[in-house]
Amino acid sequence: MARPDVPALVAAFRADLANATDPTQLDVVRRTHSGKNSPLKLGLRGLRDVPADDRPAVAAEINAAAEAIEVEIAAAQGQLEAVALEARLDAEWADPNLPGVATGRGSRHPLSLVEDRCLAVLRRLGFERVDGPEVEHPFYNFDALNVPEHHPARDAQDTFWVTDGFLLRSHTTSVQARTLETRRDLPIRIASAGRAYRNEAVDATHLAMFHQLEGLWIDRGLTFAHLKGILAFLATELFGDQRIRFKPKFYPYTEPSVGVDLACRLCDGAGCEACHGAGWITILGAGMVHPAVFETFGFDPNEVSGIAFGLGTTRMAAQWAGLTRVKALYEQDARVMRILHRGAP
Amino acid sequence: MKIHRAVLARFVDLPPEIVDSPRGLRDLLDDLGIEVKRLDGDVLTLELLANRGDHHAYLGIARELAARLDTPLLCPPLPPLRVVAPARFTVESSLCLSYSLTPLAGTGGAELPAGQRLALEAAGQSGNTAPVDATNLANLELGQPTHAFDADRIRGRVRVRASRPAEQAWLLFTPEPRTLPAGTLVIADDEKILAVAGVIGCEESKTTAETRQILLESATFDPVAVRLASRALGVHTDSAARFERGADPDAVLDGAARVADLLEATGAWARTGPTEFWAAPRPDPAPIHLSGDEVRLFLGLDLPDTQIARVLGALGFAVSPGFSVRVPARRRWDVTRPADLLEEIARIIGYNAGPVALPPVALGSQPTPGERRRDQVDDVLVGLGFYEVITDGFHARALSERLGLPTGHPLAVHVETTNALDRGYSLLKNSGVQQAIEAVATNVRARVLELKLFEWTRAFHPRDPAFDRLGATERPLLWAIATGGDRAATWAGRPRPADTSFVRGLLDELSAELSVPLAAGPIEADHRLAAVLHPHRRGAVRVGDRVIGAFGEIHPAVLASFKIKGVRPVYLEIDADPLLSADSRRPPFHEPPTWHPIERSLAFTLPARFESARVDQVIDLAAPRWLERRWISDRFEHDGLSTLTWTLRFANADNTRTVDEVNAAAERVIAAVVGELGPHGVKLR
Repeated sequence: MARPDVPALVAAFRADLANATDPTQLDVVRRTHSGKNSPLKLGLRGLRDVPADDRPAVAAEINAAAEAIEVEIAAAQGQLEAVALEARLDAEWADPNLPGVATGRGSRHPLSLVEDRCLAVLRRLGFERVDGPEVEHPFYNFDALNVPEHHPARDAQDTFWVTDGFLLRSHTTSVQARTLETRRDLPIRIASAGRAYRNEAVDATHLAMFHQLEGLWIDRGLTFAHLKGILAFLATELFGDQRIRFKPKFYPYTEPSVGVDLACRLCDGAGCEACHGAGWITILGAGMVHPAVFETFGFDPNEVSGIAFGLGTTRMAAQWAGLTRVKALYEQDARVMRILHRGAP
Repeated sequence: MKIHRAVLARFVDLPPEIVDSPRGLRDLLDDLGIEVKRLDGDVLTLELLANRGDHHAYLGIARELAARLDTPLLCPPLPPLRVVAPARFTVESSLCLSYSLTPLAGTGGAELPAGQRLALEAAGQSGNTAPVDATNLANLELGQPTHAFDADRIRGRVRVRASRPAEQAWLLFTPEPRTLPAGTLVIADDEKILAVAGVIGCEESKTTAETRQILLESATFDPVAVRLASRALGVHTDSAARFERGADPDAVLDGAARVADLLEATGAWARTGPTEFWAAPRPDPAPIHLSGDEVRLFLGLDLPDTQIARVLGALGFAVSPGFSVRVPARRRWDVTRPADLLEEIARIIGYNAGPVALPPVALGSQPTPGERRRDQVDDVLVGLGFYEVITDGFHARALSERLGLPTGHPLAVHVETTNALDRGYSLLKNSGVQQAIEAVATNVRARVLELKLFEWTRAFHPRDPAFDRLGATERPLLWAIATGGDRAATWAGRPRPADTSFVRGLLDELSAELSVPLAAGPIEADHRLAAVLHPHRRGAVRVGDRVIGAFGEIHPAVLASFKIKGVRPVYLEIDADPLLSADSRRPPFHEPPTWHPIERSLAFTLPARFESARVDQVIDLAAPRWLERRWISDRFEHDGLSTLTWTLRFANADNTRTVDEVNAAAERVIAAVVGELGPHGVKLR
């Protein structure tokens, strides 16, 4: 076999390589010039026909050329792959402005979220949640809570009566009464949340059904200072570090009864249009458990004392959600829910 | 109640920073529990505590301020009355606690001086004849309601008595006489009723501009009697508001003296005789014992005994050494025990004075397992796109009737309200389904066709007489309803419908999240929800053998009754108690296999209405123990038949399973299915 003309073979390779514009053509070039039957590989196999003295030089020349060809093919391949990738990516353009198509989450109700938040705060103080019936015996709704028949306090709670002399509870305080009836071990720390009912005309701010959350802490040695301490803790945890004030209120089942006002966030108590000039917004009703309530359930009011408080969670939820029409909380309008959750119907 | 700042200043010495600053007075009154709801110039609109009848007058409000500020209380001068036993009236009811009549005569035409009218104008009560203005003003000032009768229109003796059956009275400002409830406490003469005691006078005895002789009534009545009369008649007056909260038995003569003084000061009126007065015997209430230490411990304040005594004294309590406290008559209604006195002291010292301290707390508490599980359920539902809603506990009767169920059907039996002002609140819900369908109707009307809602609520069922203190059997439940697609339609295409299979998927997700085996199965025809669900697209939800709920497409006839078109809602209702308390069995953890399992797909054609569960059951029995999992991976309908593809995944944990073994197992499954169910029309496709 004649000695291969290595420079000519390399020149032929480079001419073919220059014409290869896609991976298929490059593969043909590879097989033609670097494959096992390529002239250079055949040249290596024919070295035995080369005179022994020339053989090392010829072998070196062929190997150098073969190596150079492989390097140039690899480089060309990298270049072609980069071009191909670029072309593919270009072809795969997707409009990032199209709306997303993932399954949208729903949401829990604002009232549930508010209740959860309140209960989380109360759990830090050791409160546990208890529930009671909504169709209630008048004893637990009124009599046991120091509201005798014909007491003016019943005016504010015009009652839904149901058959057999029962009623729809007008406050969740009835759960406190049932708790005092069944528990004796101190301390008692319970929270009840749920629906309450008032038989009154419905308007923008009055509902026949609404939600409350109440707490009751019974123990030995609880004082007025403790009452204020718990209320201040609740106010801070639930409403932030805003000024508060305590004011006298009347609830038949507590004595003394206390209201907690939060300084208006807009005027900090100075009085503005948003707070109707009051400077304050009432957020909590509370008090020391009335001795008559203790006596009803066989507790000695000289031995134990109690702290009771209640929050209007409907109003809290409406404020949290920015609703001026509270009734919207109890309507099943999906548009309202989506606006609350996603900002758009 | 509306009061004028300048009038209030006549009853108590207010410091300049208070009297000159509306804000200062407002804050001070708020701090005393006399809440200022509105401030219009010098007029304050007050919201009074329900138990404080004495606050319904300038004097009562001033007493609080004087006690707080430690300044004197300034009472208007009261002329002495010549008091004699009754001659022209008789009290015939124990509901009258004291009664007086004072005769006056005048020329008419006079009016109270402008300074006196300020309080009336602030209260919106000005512009009447002098006798009416004087009685109104005395009530505003002292909190003692009085009433002036035209003496020339009274026939015979005045009697305080209970009304008789069917007896009529022509109440002031009404067009005609009306029948009073029998037993209403009234003031009457020999011919007619002159007034409903403590509530309102009557047209036939009222004073007018022509009146020249008046009989001035000042009295105290039983609070409950006044309250019942006021409510029964639907008449709410300042007088009734005052008496309902318990009036001051000691102020009867003061009220008469003040009115007489105001009228005589006009120069047009003068008393023509003594005041006839009667009072029921009144036992002196026992003193309340309180100790200074008790006060200091309760308030956490180091108050000297002298200060405690001063506060109580300023409020009219008589404090003997050793804190034996006698309650003034005006407070006998609401101060009866030491706790009441503690409140008095706390209020005057100020609720914002003194320490604020949290009681010691060892450890917080944790949510109960049921509460945690409910959160898990919420996570699943919200993750699938459901929105939580809260519906009313009651609904209109018409809503229940729209279900079209016969009398006696469980969904037609309700606990009912008996006095609802609104017909929308007639029936307590006995399921979530009525309001769920109504929610769909509401949203469809608003053109919202894609809907997923859920609620935790309670159903109410007639009471079990065994529980005498429970008015209903209350059943906590979870309901969910979905319409439209299983997910929102997007530009990328329409989703498959939210149907019973979607609910099955929801149950699977709940099962996985709760580790509770929720299974779906056939529903019994007598299930309370069966009648409102599509008869061939419904099922029961079970935990083990126990049915805890139902699901299915709402019956088309029910949808038509609710005028719902264009959607096919699917509904799920589960009893919450068993859901939240069912045993949780988390499956043991297995390392995923190193070697890939081997799968085979078998497609069987089923005749119409043939339940896939029957095929599944045969596969389960025929497959080897090393069948790791099976599931339906494809379904299509053709020629009234459906072809379902089961994918069988055979375990190959150690890579020793041969293709021949797997193929043989698959063949055995095929043979079993075709052998057992072939006679029913099931074929291998």
